[in-house]
Amino acid sequence: MFPGFRHAMAWVHTWFGLVFGFVLMACFFFGALSVFDREIDRWAVPQTRFAPQFMPSFDRVLLPALRRIEPDAAEYAVSMPALHDAAQGPPTPRLELPADEYWVYTTHRDPVLSMGVGFRVPQPKDPDGHNHIHGSATVDPRSGEAVRADQLRIGSAWFYPMHYSLHVDWLYLGIFIVGLAALTMLAALVSGVVIHRKLFREFFTFRPWKRTQRSALDLHNLTGVVALPFHFFFAFTGLVIFAAYYYLPVSQFQLKPLHDRHEAMEAAATGLPHQAAGVPAPLASVDAMMAEAKRRWAARGMAGEVGYLQIHHVGDANGYVSIYRAGSDRVALVGEGIHFQASTGAVLREDPPRRAVMAIHEFLSGLHLQHFEHWLLRWLYVLGGLLGCACIATGFVFFVERRKKKHAATGGQGSRAVDALAVAAVTGMVIAAVGMLVANRLLPADLAGKGDWEKAAFWGFWMLALVHAFARGGPVARARINPAWRKQCRAIAALAVAAVLLNWLTTGDHLLKTLVTDPYRAVAGVDLALLAAAGVALWAARRLARRGRGKAGRRPAVAPPPAAGAEHG
Amino acid sequence: MAAAIVGGYACAWGFTALGVAGLVALGMAYHEAEAAAHMLAFLLFLAAFLWAFVAAGLVRVWLTLGGGALLMTAAAEALQRSLLA
Repeated sequence: MFPGFRHAMAWVHTWFGLVFGFVLMACFFFGALSVFDREIDRWAVPQTRFAPQFMPSFDRVLLPALRRIEPDAAEYAVSMPALHDAAQGPPTPRLELPADEYWVYTTHRDPVLSMGVGFRVPQPKDPDGHNHIHGSATVDPRSGEAVRADQLRIGSAWFYPMHYSLHVDWLYLGIFIVGLAALTMLAALVSGVVIHRKLFREFFTFRPWKRTQRSALDLHNLTGVVALPFHFFFAFTGLVIFAAYYYLPVSQFQLKPLHDRHEAMEAAATGLPHQAAGVPAPLASVDAMMAEAKRRWAARGMAGEVGYLQIHHVGDANGYVSIYRAGSDRVALVGEGIHFQASTGAVLREDPPRRAVMAIHEFLSGLHLQHFEHWLLRWLYVLGGLLGCACIATGFVFFVERRKKKHAATGGQGSRAVDALAVAAVTGMVIAAVGMLVANRLLPADLAGKGDWEKAAFWGFWMLALVHAFARGGPVARARINPAWRKQCRAIAALAVAAVLLNWLTTGDHLLKTLVTDPYRAVAGVDLALLAAAGVALWAARRLARRGRGKAGRRPAVAPPPAAGAEHG
Repeated sequence: MAAAIVGGYACAWGFTALGVAGLVALGMAYHEAEAAAHMLAFLLFLAAFLWAFVAAGLVRVWLTLGGGALLMTAAAEALQRSLLA
């Protein structure tokens, strides 16, 4: 199809990179923010600004809290008619559904913990199916009190899903778009290496004094190569993590019969009861089981805290408690599960160590999901993500710079449109994220549906940035720089400083307090990151202004827009 | 482009299915086989995707990727039947 190998690779790199670059920008930027999603949560929900807690007493704190959880009304309305067998009688009222499964989850970075209940549908159409209607809550582990449900945890419930689903939930479309973008990223990395064979030399080449086009390309190569393994592994592990559920679910379709048989065999091999006995039984002390699990982990030389706890067949003689270790001291996602009989507290089973393939798989998932407690490594992740953003952003700039003179001569509008989209994808995205934090502090805390207003602010800011970028894009068609780059950099700086000030005004947590007098690193970190973003944005705006005044095509041209250092928490 | 994306995907699917069934037939635990096949499948997808742009002709791309996908999927199906029988 193409004359020559490198030609084909260049075409793939340019066009797939351009189209999916906009998606990848969001993946890398919000992925970088997700490294500190819990810390952003603390910033956005000030009532939860207290120290992370270990798993509290189950018997005294967690069990009463679990018993207060009700089945979700919306899920009941949708799922009950689908699961309940009307031939056996009228559907069980929502609040009378019996609890069948409890789970509790916390991490070393969470002051609050999340928990949930799976309620059993007593008369199901398919007795072998997953007949659960769920309810969940976020609670303060010190008291067991629920944290209000309509408070949006901006980090873990908005930025984090944004980076893998784009919040396009219809038919999981967002997840598949991101998957294709991840594949494109891998292809772009391979083709990029093919195009630029002189990798090593280009690694040390950065000529900011040259034309924008040249320096953008230098920086594109530099950021692409310096974090090449990072870019490759994150795109790759992202695909692997979602493979079983979304991208290649062979076990749910073609190989379902084989899968189901082996799953039953593997479940039988564990000796843990798959079905409820139908005989009621009390629950022994789960605190004692947690203590025993910790003792056994310590005996294996891997002392640790409880991260995840699940009770199967609640209140039944076949009920059992699975206790998993919080794997915050290693990269691989491991649980070292220990299972106890619920009614007696006797140990039923200890999960054996994983074999090689699963160990690799867990390592790859853990590498991406980073549950570990290594703060330097976490910041390197943020740096890697932002380098990815810089790489993609400079790719856009190079694309536009290379074409805009020609388009100016021929009257083409292509580079103008791409440039406007790039502005929206780079500075516009940062504006949306920071603007959301500003909205979070401006809206009254007891506003009903506050989270929805914050989401509206997020999209609103982004749309505004997009419209602004298109409206001010005229100069690009005349081979000049779009002033929207500069103006939006200033907007980022203003919003970021406003967010820090508003945080001080509305919560009293200023930096002197969160850093020195009453240290609280999560909030201090978000504030400092916002200020750093403001600084980088102002610096970029000044460079752009100076460049705009000089003759086009000559001196200083720092093209890379501020995404490079932009807001992170 | 369609050949690269659709053909590559079909190929990855066939490879995963055959990989899982094949490894299970060789005695590996199911979920372990699944994990192994998934990890390799994306590398295959990537190679197929890039190759589609380099290959000599569109017909050849479709034949190779589509044919490969069909063959592997069918083989996986047959293997599953014999394993379950």
